[in-house]
Formats: sequence, C-alpha cells, structure tokens
Amino acid sequence: MENTFKPATIPGYIPNVLRAFPVTMEILLISLLISLALGALVTAAGIGKRKWPKAIAGGYIAFMRGIPTLVLIFLIYLGLPQLAQVVGIDLTGVSKTVFIVACLSLSSSANMAEMMRASYLAVDKGQKEAAYSVGMKEFTAFRRIIFPQAFGIAIPALGNNIIMLFKDTSLAFAIGVIDLMGKARAISSASYGANRLEVYIATGIIFWAACIILEYCSKITEKIYTKGRKKATS
Amino acid sequence: MDFKFIIEALPKIMLAVPITLFMSLVSAAAGWLLGLSIALIRKHRVPVLSQFSAVFVSFMRGVPMVILLYISYYALPILLYSYGLSIGITIDINAVPPIVYAIIALALDQAAYSSEIFRSALSAVDEGQMEAAFSVGMTRTQALMRIIFPQALAMAIPNLGGIFVGLVKGTSLAYYVGVYEITATANLLAMPALNFIEAYIMTTLIYEAISFVLNKLFRICEDRLKKFRAGASA
Repeated sequence: MENTFKPATIPGYIPNVLRAFPVTMEILLISLLISLALGALVTAAGIGKRKWPKAIAGGYIAFMRGIPTLVLIFLIYLGLPQLAQVVGIDLTGVSKTVFIVACLSLSSSANMAEMMRASYLAVDKGQKEAAYSVGMKEFTAFRRIIFPQAFGIAIPALGNNIIMLFKDTSLAFAIGVIDLMGKARAISSASYGANRLEVYIATGIIFWAACIILEYCSKITEKIYTKGRKKATS
Repeated sequence: MDFKFIIEALPKIMLAVPITLFMSLVSAAAGWLLGLSIALIRKHRVPVLSQFSAVFVSFMRGVPMVILLYISYYALPILLYSYGLSIGITIDINAVPPIVYAIIALALDQAAYSSEIFRSALSAVDEGQMEAAFSVGMTRTQALMRIIFPQALAMAIPNLGGIFVGLVKGTSLAYYVGVYEITATANLLAMPALNFIEAYIMTTLIYEAISFVLNKLFRICEDRLKKFRAGASA
C-alpha cells in the first residue's frame, strides 16, 4: 500500500461537490418547515390538558429520539412500500427526495417539539396572567405576549436543531439521493476510489463552513431579536 | 409479515447488540476523557492547545458523522502505515478491523460534544468552592477531584446521557465502514428475500429498548448524584 493522498487536490473538488448544494438546501428547507409545523402540533398536544393527546405526544417524542435516523430512513424507504403493498397502495412511484424529506421531518420534529416546549415553559407564568387581566383572549395572549418571548428563548436551540438537521441531510445518500454526500460518493466512485479521501475531506470542509455560517446567523438573529427586550424568564 | 424470518433473524440481530454497545462504551470512555481534558485546557486558556481545541471542536460539530467515519476509515490506514514505515516496520493494514476506525471517529465526536458539556458544568460550579477547598489546605488536584468534579459531574450527567443515547444511535452509521453492528446485520439478513419491513421493525424495537434502558439508567445516576448539586451554583 502506497500513500496516494494528495492534499493539494482537495480544494479542486469543492466546486464539484458544491454542484449538489441546491439538492441539500431543498431537502433542508422543506424538512425544516415540515418539522417546525409537526413540532408545533406535538407541542400543542403535549402542553395541553387533555390526557390522550398528551400521552401520544410524549410517546411520539420518545420514539423519535430512540430510533437512529438511518434506521428510520431504511424503515420508511424500504419497509413502508412493502407494508403499503399489503393494503394495496403503490408507493414505488414516489421520489426518493420525498422519502428523505419525510424521514428528516419526522426525526427533527421531536427535537423541535422539545425545544418549543422548553421555551414555552421558560416564559414566566405571570406574563400570561397579566395578558388575561388586560382582557386578552387565550390565542391573542399567546400570539402577542407568550410567543415573541418564547421565540427569543428558542433561537439558540433552534439554530442547533437546524445545524443537526443540516448534518442529517448527509444521510440522503443512503437511499441514493445525489445531495452533497451522494455527489461526493459519485465523484469518488467515478475514479474507482482513488481520490475518495480527498473528496470526503472536501465535503467535510463544505459542511463545516456551512455550519459556521449557520451558527453565525443564529448568533446574529439572537442578538438582533433580544436587543432591547427584557429577559423573559422570571 | 414473514414470521419464519422474524424467528430466524431475531437471535442473529440480537447477537450484534453487544457490538453496538461495545463500540458505544469504548468511544464514550475515550471520548469523555479527551473531552474533559479539552474542557480543562479551554477553561485555563492553555496557549496553542486551547486554540487548537477550539478549531477541533468546531470541526467535529460541523461535519456529519458519516463523513467523519469515511475520513477516519480512509485516512487512518495511510497514517498508520506511514508511521509504521518511519519506525521501520511494515504494518499489515488489512489486519486492522474496521471497528477500530469507527471507534476512533465516534470517540473524537464524543470528545467534541462532551467538552462543551464539561466546560459549562465546570464553569457553573461556584468559584467560592475552589477557594474554600484551598482555605482548608487542599491542593489543586485534591480540590478538583474531591470538590469540583463531583459537583460538575452531577450537573453534566443529564446532558452526557443525551449524547450517549445519540452515540448509540450514531453507531448505526458504522455500517458504512463495514462494521457488522445491529443495522448492518439487519440489512444483511433482509437482503436475500427482501424482508425489509420485518428486519427494520425488529431493529427499531431493539434501538428503542436500548434507548429506554439507557434513559432509565441515566435518570437513576442523576438521582444518585443529586446530593452533590445542593451547593453547586452561586
């Protein structure tokens, strides 16, 4: 075995891998929107007073946090069509991107729900009571008083969750979607693996850079948003 | 549902559970020790090492696990081989089992995440505790071992539990570097007759069971260590 590693060629692969960036972004953005909506739904059920929705929300979060994303992807992409076939639904025509978006939305929604619950509970109870006392209805109080404060508290965790979701998009290659990671694999197999280490390092650098940018955005957003606001916690 | 397959495959998948747990435990033990060192280095601002650690942590947090595994899997043999040559022996790279590369990648990842946890836990312990330990004549090491670490650990345990469950889930990715842990075994068994749904439902249940037990164990640890928390924060 000889050393074929050529560090100088790493930057050259970056533009090539980056050609798949729109695919990753598409997966990330759609999954993010769905996971936020799902997370909000789960949170609403979890903090409500009714017993059954509460139990289902708790079970859903525990389930999603216990299953590896890769296994969830295999379960849904390979398993679900088989199960659907039994009841007569044909899922073979559904695109791989749809499957990957579904899986990432599900797994991320549990984290989003946890984040929303924690931020909601962090807002002082007196805020809600004060809103009621000036005659606001429950929804108005939530929209105008609770939500803006909870959002400020949630920003750092939201940033973290987005970064985690972004990193998880790299699993799309597991079912053959050509995202950043899929592209990297395609490039390395085109050369029969001769440049695989360089390509993966290049891909790693892309992810790293993107995460640094995301982290920076999250910090800036937090700074701008919480500027001039009193801390919402008691 | 092919019940014959389930009965045949379940024991075989269960046999892979110790491999998953072994990988997780070794990676966590090595990673957390390194993480604690990084936390101490960054807390005391050791020149050079501290800056290096900051870049390392940022890199590890920004790059997805799959890519880290691939980089470790392809880069370490080259490093090992050239190191062997430099000291005059030829190391047989193919004799190194892939689990070694997986464990190294997972351990480094754990080191990065746990260092952040230890850092915040250490800084949450009141400065006065250290001073008090000095005032009764303890040395720095004694103060750290007997006073600071127990309190910091009590604070770190819930978060450590979180990243440990994440680690167990992360080992499923070792499948891609050829480690036959739970996910890879299930995949292998499902392939011949396309028993995906059965195989992945079993896999899911096994991971859920492991996560459940781990969460319980960490909850117990948390309760046990609660006595150290009383004076922990100012």
